[in-house]
Amino acid sequence: MPVWQQVLEEINDPNFVIICAAEDVGGEAVAGPIFDAANPTYTQVVDVDHIISSAFNFVNVPSSAWIDEEGRIVRVDEGSYSKIHTISNGDQSIEFGNDVYTPALKDWVANGAASKHVQAPTTVASNIRVHSFDQLKADAAFRLGNLFREHGEADKADHNWAMARKLNPESVNFIRQDLTLTDEGSAGASFMKMRGRYESEGIDYYRPLDFQT
Amino acid sequence: MAKAMMANPELRNPFKTTPVHPEGSTTVLYQGKKIVLAETGTSGSLLVRPDDLPAINGFELKPEGACYNDLCIPLAANMLVEADGREWFNLTAFADLLEQPWVADTQARVWSFAEMPTKRESTMVNAMAPDFEVTDRQGNVVRMADLKGKKALIVTWSSW
Repeated sequence: MPVWQQVLEEINDPNFVIICAAEDVGGEAVAGPIFDAANPTYTQVVDVDHIISSAFNFVNVPSSAWIDEEGRIVRVDEGSYSKIHTISNGDQSIEFGNDVYTPALKDWVANGAASKHVQAPTTVASNIRVHSFDQLKADAAFRLGNLFREHGEADKADHNWAMARKLNPESVNFIRQDLTLTDEGSAGASFMKMRGRYESEGIDYYRPLDFQT
Repeated sequence: MAKAMMANPELRNPFKTTPVHPEGSTTVLYQGKKIVLAETGTSGSLLVRPDDLPAINGFELKPEGACYNDLCIPLAANMLVEADGREWFNLTAFADLLEQPWVADTQARVWSFAEMPTKRESTMVNAMAPDFEVTDRQGNVVRMADLKGKKALIVTWSSW
């Protein structure tokens, strides 16, 4: 995550902090080296249970929230990329990311409530995904699966992860997290099929960015 | 065909089989916390000692009900249970009252609770950042309340 270290250094404001959370059941073994490669001074969390995603009803990574000094969310649930990326798998490739997020973030840190990127509480509240009872229950099932996995109970882990995916089919996190632990990986045929379905059915992979220009 | 991206099949089941908790104990999962209870009563419901309640979900029993900060929930008749000469708090009935989802593996004696919708109301209505508590890689507990007075970017990512 060198990009967030670079952003932190460029902003260089002691009253601005970054909490960077790896939503990853692979834990420290997987996320730790990636963090370390960035030589980060921001707060690093290996969030095996996806606590942060659950708190903000995120369903995909990377996702983010901006919190002001009073603890109020001023933007939420946006695909927080610093540039446009391309990933390829065989003869298929997809583009993702954006180049407007980081400049907007810097503007907010510099200008606070006067930034044009600050959203009203009513707008923020409407941008937070409303999760149903079943979607919240999916979080509980996911964590139960994690506990069983950590204790070598593979069948029970898979049973509860499958329950989580069924209860919250909108969660790209749950789907791709599971694919990560398969031979095909998180960007293989199953992922491409899911992306294709999202596009054909008009489902947003991320909530659309709506920064003012 | 290109090599599968970010595939870690060896990580699917990397752990040896170990007991979830000491025999006879019960484990409760709540918002990233794992609470092992030495004594519980079960009868389809999860009955916990009232003294264990604060460690589980932050609530404590007061004359006016089960209270968390300024929020007090009057107790229904089925929430305080007498059994074996002791008083138990029916945690699953309390969760059901608050429409708090939970799942359980009763054979393994593990209950996992989602966040209470009641605790999320200020986020969903007033856009106040939700309470959360996580531990960073240095072992420090990070709470939303600790960030007050600073601007914060909370950002998720993954290795996948």
